[in-house]
This record gives sequence, structure tokens and C-alpha cells, in this order.
Amino acid sequence: MSGSKVLRSLLHELRQAASDANDMKKSLAARYIRAQYKRLETTDQQFCKARNEAIFLGQTYLTYLSSQRKYNEIYREYHGRGERSVKETADLVGFKLPTDPK
Amino acid sequence: MINCTIFNGMRMLRLTNIIKTNQTNSLASVRLYATHPKRFYKQTNVICTDNGYEVTLDHRKLKTPKGTLFTVKSEPLAIAVATEFDNQKEQIERSRMHISALCFTVLDNPNNLTKLDIVNYLLNFVPTDTVLFQNETETALQELQLNEWDPVINWFNKRFETNLQKTMSITPPYVTDEDKIRIAKHFQSFSLDTLHGYTFAVDTLKSIVLACAVIEQQISVEKAVTLSRLEEEYQLKFWGRVEWSHDLSQQDLQARLAASVLFVHFNCSEHLVQEKLLL
Repeated sequence: MSGSKVLRSLLHELRQAASDANDMKKSLAARYIRAQYKRLETTDQQFCKARNEAIFLGQTYLTYLSSQRKYNEIYREYHGRGERSVKETADLVGFKLPTDPK
Repeated sequence: MINCTIFNGMRMLRLTNIIKTNQTNSLASVRLYATHPKRFYKQTNVICTDNGYEVTLDHRKLKTPKGTLFTVKSEPLAIAVATEFDNQKEQIERSRMHISALCFTVLDNPNNLTKLDIVNYLLNFVPTDTVLFQNETETALQELQLNEWDPVINWFNKRFETNLQKTMSITPPYVTDEDKIRIAKHFQSFSLDTLHGYTFAVDTLKSIVLACAVIEQQISVEKAVTLSRLEEEYQLKFWGRVEWSHDLSQQDLQARLAASVLFVHFNCSEHLVQEKLLL
């Protein structure tokens, strides 16, 4: 994955994870990551190794955020909350209720 | 008539069950789960002090479960922890905040581990490394393991000048003393904090070889988790994939591994700090 793509995905994931999605300007992580990109961009020839490392770390953080999000999604969908309603059970196995439109 | 009696019997059974649970309720032998603490802060921030970086929740300073002040040497690590706290919704779900959990473990060191303990633990792990146990009864699986695992083992042997051999049977592979000394030397060179991160990665992947490969940037986190679950992935092709088990564990392992990799890198990235001074 190229550097700019990692940056975009990272910001996307941070926005998804944030408790208040409109508050991204205040987000420390987003600001830090942007600053790192800016800093390493001008010196990419000089610190080749560090640049690769920065992208690797960016990808790792991206994996961290996206895996957490997917884990939470699966957990929310399947974790028991007591008995399911008929509608929910039907949705789960892909059936429709007699009352639903065809 | 018979149906009716059965139905009545079932009803009775259900009633008695309810009574029983009511009784147990009064005796308080019901399993009570710890409730998550509520989110009591609005904003998180990172402040820089003489000792390092601290995280603040509104005006309060973040503390570890043991009550010591949260301080880390690395700025990105502190930012990651602050972001994790900021991402909590109504409740603070500490069990899913892996980066914070690692920092807390290191700061509190609840098991009072020393560097020697951890190095010994890691060394004892080597003969039980997942990638060293390969299958020979199923040719397709054997081929898969040969293609996927052997390059990583070869890289490890080259990198650490060791000679780890895989095993095809139930007998564990024999690790020579020289190899053990070489691996121990490598781990001894890290600080205690970093070693905690390594242990977390090794426990997640059940493999030292894979943990070293991913921390040294040879393979990505996703790849490492796939390699660690290689046989499971292989069996999935025949028996089907169950989202709430396989995908859930995969995402969990990825998040845990990514947290430990970040932790290790933030803890030993001195050259990044030097680079800042150069600019």
C-alpha cells in the first residue's frame, strides 16, 4: 500500500472509531499522523529506512483500528442479548416474514 | 390427554426452575459480571513532562490500575493511549484497549517479572513454536506449510544464525544450547518494557519465529496472523467458515498483535528520536 493510501485509510478509521465523528480537528492521533507524513515527506531520500518503517507502523496502526472495528461489529451482531424476536431470527437466516412485502 | 400432561409437566418444570433461580438470587450465587466503568471525561490530551509523556482525562491525570501515574517515554505511544480512551463511547471497555493494557502491564508489572524471567519464558517457548510442528499425513496441508512456514523459519535461522529444525512427528524439535544462547542474547539486548511487548506478541501468535518476523518488518500483521492460523484456514476450506468464531478470533488476534508490534516499535525507536534532532 502506498503512503498516501495508508494516510487516507488511517484518517478514515480514526473518524469511524471516534466517539464524536465531527471532532476530528481536535483528534491528537490525526494531527500527529499528518505531522509525521509532512516531516518524512521532505526527507524521504535521506531517511529511507525510517520512511519504510513509518509506513509499516502506519499500516500496523491501520490494522489495529480496522481489526478493532470489525471485531466490535461481529461482536455486536452475534453476542447474546437474550431471546431474539421472530423478525431478527428471520433476518439472521435470510427469511422473510409473511407480513413483509415480497 | 397425554400431550396435556406433558405440557403441564413442562410448565411445572419451568416454574420450579424460576423458583430455583429466585432462591439462588437471594443467596447471591448468580454470576455477576463486572460492569464497565462509565466514561467520566469529555476530552483526552497528552502533556509532556520531565519524566515523559502523560495522558490527561479532562483535568485528571490518567493512572494505572495499581494507582501509579501513567508516564511513557514515547510520544506516539501516549497519543495512541489517549486516542483509545477518547474512542470509548458511554462505557470504558478496558478489555479491548490493548495498547493501554500493555502500557499498564509494563508500568505496574503485576507479576513482578524481571528481564531474566521473560527471556527464560521466551526461550522455553522456542521448542513449542507453532511453525516448527508440521503435518506429514495430509499432503496438501504439508505442501501449504512447506510453502508458507519454511521461508519464515529460514529467515529466522539466517537472521539469528541459529539452526532451528522443524519436526514432523509429536516429538518436539531439539534446540541446541548454542541456538538458545544466541536467541537469549538477542532478547537480552531489549529493555524490560520491550520484552513485555514481545511476550504479548508471542502469546498471541503462539510462535517466536513469526513474532520476530513481524516485529522486524519481514511480514505484515495480517500475514503473521494468517500464518499462525494456517491449519485452521486450511480446514476452513472443507468445513466452512463461521463468522462468530473464526472471523472474531482472527480480528482479535490481529488487533492484539498490532498493539504489541506498535508497542515494541515505539519503545525502541531511538533512531526516530535522533532523526528529530537532526532536522
